[in-house]
Formats: sequence, structure tokens, C-alpha cells
Amino acid sequence: MTKIIALASLLSFSLPALALEIGQPAPDFSGTDIHGKTVKLSDFKGKIVVVESYNSDCPFCHNQYASGAVPELQKDLAAKGVVWLLVDSVNPNNPSFRSAGQAQEEWKRLKINATDWIQDPSGAIGHLYSMKTTPDVYVIGKDGVLDYQGAMDDRPKPFGDPRKAHNYVRAAVDALLQGKPVAVTQTKPYGCGVHYAD
Amino acid sequence: MWAGLCLALVLATPASAAHTRVELKLSANSVRPGQVQSVGFLMTMDPGWHTYWKNSGDSGIPTQIQWNLPPGFSAGPIEWPLPLKLPPASVTTYAYEGTTLLEVPITVASNVASGVYSVSAAVSWLECKDQCIPGSTNFSFDLVVTNEFVPTTQLDLIQSWQSRMPETCSNWLVEASWQTTTNTDQRWLVLHGQYRGPSDTQPRIVDFYPYPGDNYEVETATEVKDGPGSDFTLRKMVTRFQSDWPVRVPGILIEEGIEHGWFLNPQPLGPSALVDDSNQVSSGSIQSVDPANISAPPLRFSPGRMILYAFIGGLILNVMPCVLPVIALKILGFVREGGSDRRHIRLLGLAYVAGVLASFLALASMVVGVKAAGHQAGWGMQFGNPVFVVGLATLVTLVALNLFGVFEVSLGGHAMDAAGALSARRGFAGAFFNGVLATTLATPCTAPFLAPALGFAFAQGSGIIFLAFFSTGVGLALPYFLLSWQPAWVSFLPKPGAWMEKFKIAMGFPMLATVVWLLYIASATYGRGVAWVGCFLVVVSFAAWIFGAFFQRGSKARSLSLGLAFAFLILGYFGILEDALHWRSVPGDKEPAASNINSPLDWKPWSLEAIAQAQASGRPVLVDFTADWCLTCQVNKKTSIEIPSVINEMKLVQGVALVADDTAFPVRITEELQRFGRAGVPLVLVYPGHPGANPLILPEILTPSLVLDALKKATQFGNDLNKSTSAAVQ
Repeated sequence: MTKIIALASLLSFSLPALALEIGQPAPDFSGTDIHGKTVKLSDFKGKIVVVESYNSDCPFCHNQYASGAVPELQKDLAAKGVVWLLVDSVNPNNPSFRSAGQAQEEWKRLKINATDWIQDPSGAIGHLYSMKTTPDVYVIGKDGVLDYQGAMDDRPKPFGDPRKAHNYVRAAVDALLQGKPVAVTQTKPYGCGVHYAD
Repeated sequence: MWAGLCLALVLATPASAAHTRVELKLSANSVRPGQVQSVGFLMTMDPGWHTYWKNSGDSGIPTQIQWNLPPGFSAGPIEWPLPLKLPPASVTTYAYEGTTLLEVPITVASNVASGVYSVSAAVSWLECKDQCIPGSTNFSFDLVVTNEFVPTTQLDLIQSWQSRMPETCSNWLVEASWQTTTNTDQRWLVLHGQYRGPSDTQPRIVDFYPYPGDNYEVETATEVKDGPGSDFTLRKMVTRFQSDWPVRVPGILIEEGIEHGWFLNPQPLGPSALVDDSNQVSSGSIQSVDPANISAPPLRFSPGRMILYAFIGGLILNVMPCVLPVIALKILGFVREGGSDRRHIRLLGLAYVAGVLASFLALASMVVGVKAAGHQAGWGMQFGNPVFVVGLATLVTLVALNLFGVFEVSLGGHAMDAAGALSARRGFAGAFFNGVLATTLATPCTAPFLAPALGFAFAQGSGIIFLAFFSTGVGLALPYFLLSWQPAWVSFLPKPGAWMEKFKIAMGFPMLATVVWLLYIASATYGRGVAWVGCFLVVVSFAAWIFGAFFQRGSKARSLSLGLAFAFLILGYFGILEDALHWRSVPGDKEPAASNINSPLDWKPWSLEAIAQAQASGRPVLVDFTADWCLTCQVNKKTSIEIPSVINEMKLVQGVALVADDTAFPVRITEELQRFGRAGVPLVLVYPGHPGANPLILPEILTPSLVLDALKKATQFGNDLNKSTSAAVQ
């Protein structure tokens, strides 16, 4: 009897829409970059694209850049034709919000080597990709399929040298470039919560 | 070069966290070797700021504590109070706001010498509001090891946070199952719980907070369906990361209002929405239960069967080692009163029954009271109170001296007055008192049948508790009641005569043996200070002799003798118990030293973590739930555990021996006993050396072959499971 009740109550659960799925096409998005230009994911069809949720006030993000680890990685991957997009979903009322001018200044100061920085103050892109933390990283293959989602590396610390950690993004991109299957396709991202508007 | 160094320094010491203050709280100024020093880190966050639980949820990092401890000291895992679940829905976290206290038990090995030891702890955390800042504080402090436990004034604060910790024993019977989704790396974890608690409350389960998993993540969102009553069904999405599905998904069931959380370690079945509950195996006298069903006792009784078991348990109590000394008293009582008429003997029998039943009802009231006050209650709990133990030791000493004839128990002055009409009254009072004494001494023994019956009763409402205790009392009293009712049986006893005086004196010696045993129990609290209790007993005995020889039987200076006897009593009490021993300022409910220092089995203190750790490395675990006051436990250990064959078998299977000491009645161990449906020790478990495998539960009275069989079974279980796993892989 209890089983039937349990079963019946389960059937009446509402099924929520599932988030992104590894091996499925990554949804297209469109946003404005810090120079006022409209950027779309589909602009980079045929290329490997790294999407990173970004907020350099978050100590975990900040350490990746201030230590030089991620700018170096971005430079290495750019040389191999890989696109790296920063998505900044911090809401305008948060102290960590960056205006276009502030963002351009930060780009220079932190020696960022990404392809572009997309402003997402409404959180539309962040919510579409279910970005939870900064950083939270997505690797999309040349075929537009999601190949990796999760943490930047296996060292969830806001200090020290991230180069000593195993970087999941580098590993995923290297595997894709060599035509091999990506070994680690999903991890739990770590860091500060994304400061969404809602 | 300089710039690089500066940068490194800045990176190594992150921005100082201005929004969280951490204070150190110690439970004791000094502890004895083998004891636990609780270290509390009281974290106070500014309004709006929060720090994180052991599973931080969608973002954040759990607070970490790095220890630097001298050899012989070991830090247990952090004990986390129940966290809050903080919005927004898109990034939900488990965190603390306001204040929280993270408690770490530091165990001092039993071979650590007295002295002052410096230790340090580095606490690091992430605090967030609309921004996140990492913070850290270093604490360097001294831990003092002496021969006594001296609590601090902060002990109360640390203990007050115990009520915010998850409880291991719950009122829900929970079935867990997997439900598949279209994504091969995502499944629903479905928990269906049936309420088994008291019917006067209707609590509501609103959430399940999962512990962090290595290769999986349980999403923060929860769907809950209520009813009927307090029953619930909830589900949460689980994502696996390049690995098998977890065998167990531990976490905390959260009651509405987050006042209570219940630890749960479910082993989901499936994947399918159907739940199979046919995995309860019972073979011979060894039962296997699933601890995932943390709520209900493994044996489910009808109240009628429980009462029958309680009654049979009470009957068996008569021949348990703790009650045997009292039997001597009772036999003597029948012989002494043998000359009286039949009606008189029957009345004495009734007085004895009344004494037993009154004591059992008093015990039941105590249990109900303690439960009503929100604490855990258990069989034999009063033996965890050293004041009670010393009081009982004094009483039993006086009984022995009385049997030796040192003094008389009489209301009048002269021993001669005890004859005649007064003797009848003394007889009734004595019989009643025998009943009380029999019950008091019976509590440290858990007889077969009694354990499951009381274990069941303790989880029920007040009425059932009273009924169970009453039935046990009837069982304990029945044989002597029948003896008093059947004159034919009484006539089997020898005629009264001069031999009675000798027999009476002989029966004083079991009483003295009981005193030795009580002193041994008290030594768990007082250590070597128990010698002061011995001194006190000598002074009391001397005072009793003065009272008997010069007041009761003397003819001159009787009032001087009486005054002298009282003077010795007062001197003994204040000079020895109060002044030298400080007998009432005893430690709280910390677990005392496991008295297994020189044991060949290398006993380690029990904890769920220790079991999990041993199982993870493939080693079977033998757990002995014991107490110094539990004679059945000591007998079990000597006859069936610490014997060469078992020691060899343990070596062979690389078994880990864990001891859970219930002497001072610590909450965690009591809760674990209840989880297995026991109201008290003894309880011996054998866990197979396979992660998450359920233990075999051994009966109350052990034999070597029972223990050896269980160890063999536990080893085979592991092998079978390994085989089937590898077969599945192929």
C-alpha cells in the first residue's frame, strides 16, 4: 500500500527542464561585449570555444588571473585557434559590477588573454548555462557539442599557484585537438556564487 | 625579484576577513589520558554574511581546520551544526549566519604522560555576502593532561550546541531508491519515509541536506510530497562524475523549522521507482539489519509480544550475575521468617513484589522524565552517575556490616527490641527494601529478551514504557512471590537455628564483592581518587561499629557513642568525599577512557567514521558496546572476545576492534544503541570489510563460536561481494 502511495506521489512530481547535458549541442547565446559589440556563440562555429563565468572580485577567480595561470593558458590555447569567452553575470547593484570602462581597465591590469568579455547584467546567459560559481567553465567542441563543464582545476583554493593543479580545461581542449575522447567531462565547480540580479 | 616576492606574500595572506570572528572554546582545563578534549570554534558573522557547511552547496567552500598536534593526540572530524539553506534558487548554498560552533574532538591516547602540550589549529573559511572574502585565524594553545578531568566554564556552551547537531536516531523508517532520467549521468534519489515516532507530535520533513560526495553531486533543489500524516516522499537530482553510482548517499533529513535533523545513510535500491524491502535477512541467532533504516528498531513488536519479552527478561534477570548477591539476601529472608505463619510469609512476598514494582515504576518515571526533557534515556543510565554509584557502594557496605552483625537495623535502641511485634514491621520493610535493592542491582545487567523489548519500548510513548518496565518487574519478582505463596516450597528450607547466624555472615561476602565492583565503576570517574571512596567506606564502617557496639548494645555513655558515630560520619563525608575527592564535581557526559590499555586486540574508540574508514580499506570491524558497570559485557569480553581463537581470527582477517564505552552514558553511543533497537549495553556488532556493508548483530550472551562464525561470515560477505562486482564488470 505504501509503495503505491509512494509511486503515485512520485508520478505527480513536476519534471523540471534539465540543464545542459554533456554530449549534447550547447545552446546558442548572444550578448554585448565590453566594447559595445554584439557577440554570439554561433559566430565561432567550427572552433573550440571555452566559456568561463567570470568575476575577478571573487578570490578564486582573482587568484587564477593574478597568479598569471589563466592568462598563460588563454595565450597557449589562442595560439591553437581556441576561442575563450568571459561571461560576467554580476548584477549592476553589486559592488563587483564592472562598467564597460572599468572592465577595459581590468582587462589590461590583469593581462587577460581571452577572446572577449561579454557583459550579462541580466544573467540571461548565466541562467541559460546554469552557471553557479565563478569560475564555472564550459568547453564546446568544433561540432558545437558540450564536452566539459565544471571546475577550472582540481585545487579549490583562493591562494597559491594554480599551475601546480590539474587544469581540466587544458586537458579537455588538448584531448579535443588530438581527436581523443575527453577523460573528465564533468566536475563540481567551486568558487563564489554568481551574483545574479534575482 | 622584489615585486615577485611581494606578490607572493600578498597571495599567501589573503585579504583579512573583517566580517567573521572566531573564538576558541575548550571543554576542559585538563583531561586524563584516554579522554577526549572538545575544542569548539565559535564563529560569529556580521549581519548578512555567512560561512559554509561541510557541503557548501552550489557555491562556496567549507570551513577547514588544519591541526598541528603532538604525538598521541588525534583530531576527529569537525562536528557541524545543522546549516541553513540560503537562496537564491539559482545558486543555493548550505551555510551559517549569525553564530555557529564547529566542534572537534581531540582524543588523547591512553599512553600520553601528564604534562602541558602545545597545539595549534589554523581555521580557514570563505565568508560571503554580496562579495566573498577568504579568512583565516591561527590558534596556538596548551592542552593539559593530568590524572583528572577538570571541566571549564565553556563546557556548557560547547554542550549547548549539541542540540543543533544532527541526531543519529530518528523517528522515520526511510526507504531510498533510484529513479532514472534520460541523462545517463543523472538520477533522482527518492526517499520515502514513514513516521514511527510518538503520535502526539506530527513533525514534517522538508528537506534532505546531502553530505559532500567525491564523485557525485546532489543538487540543492528538493521536491517534497507530504502524507499521509507525517510520512513523506522527497527526491533530489544526483549527478555522477565519471564514476559508478554511489552505494550510499549520506546526509541529514531536515524537519520543518530546522530544529531537528536526522542523520541518514541510505543505500538506494533500483534503479526503478519500485522499492523492494525484502532485504531483511534473519539467519539463526545472528540478524542482519540495514542501518539505512535508521528509525525503527530492527525487530518490530506488537505491544503484547513486547510485554511478554519484558516479562521473560525480568525472569531471567534473577540469575544474571548482578542480581546473584541479592538472591543470597532473599533466601536468608525466607529462612529467617520461615518460622512465621503462612499468611505472614505471603505478606512478606507481597512486600518484596511491591518493592520491585515500585522501583521499576520509579525507573520508568525517570526514563519518561528524561525523554520529556529532550534527552536520550537508556537502561542502566543511573550507573553513569558517580554520585549514585558512591551512594550505592555505601549502602551495600552497610548491608554487609549488618549481615556481619556489626550493628542492627531497628527503630528502637536495643537489639532485643527487634523481637516481637517490631520484627514483623522490620520484616516488611526489609522485604520491600530487598525488592528495591534487587532492581537497583539488576539494571546493569541486560538479560536476553529484555534488550529488544526495552529497546522497542524506549522509542515509544510513555504508556508503553511504563508497561514494559512493569512487566519486567513482575518477571523479576515472580519466582520469590511463588516461593512465598507455596508453603510446601518453603518447608524445603531448613529449620531456623544457630546455622542462620553463620549463613547470614557468609552472605555478607557477596555484598563486599558488590562493593568492589561498584568501586571499579567509580574508578572510571575518579581514577586513583577512588581510594578516597575506600577510605570513606572504612570510616563509615567504623562509625557503624561504634553505633552498634556502644550505642545499640552498650549500657554506659550511650549518647556519647552516638555523638562519636555521627562525628565520624560527618568527618568522613566532609573531610574525604567533599574535601579530598570533590566527589560531586565530576566531568559531564564525555566518554571516559576505554579500559582496554593492555588488551591484545588493540581496541580503538568507536565512531561511525572509524567504521567507514576500516570498511573502505577492506577490513572487517568488531564493535563492542560496553560499560564498566555492565557485568554481562565484561563476562562476554573475557569468555568470547579476548580469547586466543578470536584474537587469531581477528589478526587473520585484519579485523579492527572498536570499543564504544557507555559507562558515562554519552549521547552518541546511546543513540547508536537505539538505532539497533537496544536500550542499553551489551551490543556486539561485526561489520564486513566492504564499504557500506551492514553489520551482523550478535546476541546479548556470547559464546566463542558465535563471534568466530560472525567474523567468518563477515569475511565471506566481502569476498562474495567482490566476486559479484568483478563479474558485473566483465
